[in-house]
Amino acid sequence: MIPTHYFLILSAILFSIGVCGVLTRRNGITIFMSIELMVNAVNLTFLAYARQFHQLHGLIFVFFVMAIAAAEAAVGLAIFISLFHHRETIDVDEANLMHW
Amino acid sequence: MFEFIVFFFFAAVAVVFALVVILHRNPVVGALSLVVSFFALAVIYVLLDAPFLAALQVIVYAGAIMVLFLFVIMLLNLQHMSEPATRPIQQFLGYTTSAAFVLGLVYYLVKYAVFTSLPSGPFQTDSRAIGMAIFESYVFPFEMVSILLLAAIVGALLLSGRATGERARIGQEVSS
Repeated sequence: MIPTHYFLILSAILFSIGVCGVLTRRNGITIFMSIELMVNAVNLTFLAYARQFHQLHGLIFVFFVMAIAAAEAAVGLAIFISLFHHRETIDVDEANLMHW
Repeated sequence: MFEFIVFFFFAAVAVVFALVVILHRNPVVGALSLVVSFFALAVIYVLLDAPFLAALQVIVYAGAIMVLFLFVIMLLNLQHMSEPATRPIQQFLGYTTSAAFVLGLVYYLVKYAVFTSLPSGPFQTDSRAIGMAIFESYVFPFEMVSILLLAAIVGALLLSGRATGERARIGQEVSS
């Protein structure tokens, strides 16, 4: 049986890759995919702890996180379609209407 | 032993394809690499005694959400659009920050979160056990999620449709 901290370290690496993508990219869709990567890393942490402590609550939380990630993806992509209609680009630096 | 080989192979696959997602310029390649990464994570979920959630991962993430991403990329014709390079200072700060973040996280995990005792006995996580828990103690959050999904459907339709009438006029004023 694989020790729990292996999964936690894998989750930390995946989360940091997602953080790196959000910080360094300008393409809105790629930033969104990096966010999905971070959500998945958190799910992996939930499952690792759920197995360690034999709790079903972690699994149910992962279920809810998946549902909310689906809703978030639908609304976020709709926002990018709307942005593309107005600005002809999805470069997030161009979306500066509320910029100070 | 076999479990460790499977774990390290699919962990490497997940990390490498996640790196492709954030480093490749073409968003279509990024989306397909993300699908591969999610499949590798599904295998790791099976190693964690959660086969039901592994199936959900493949169906919901790799199946539904990533198809939505690819659909939007194709709809907006983004696969030919060249992304302008990020400013060097932003690149430098992003890479160093995330590298420091991962080093700090791994350091503290290795120092404080190493469980010496392995979980004992089998962990009952079939769809029956999860369904019982959801419809007994989590029935209110479950209904809230269904309302949230309804709100997301309405919001997505409202945002992605072409604006007409009053909304179109306001949009013109805002974007000019």
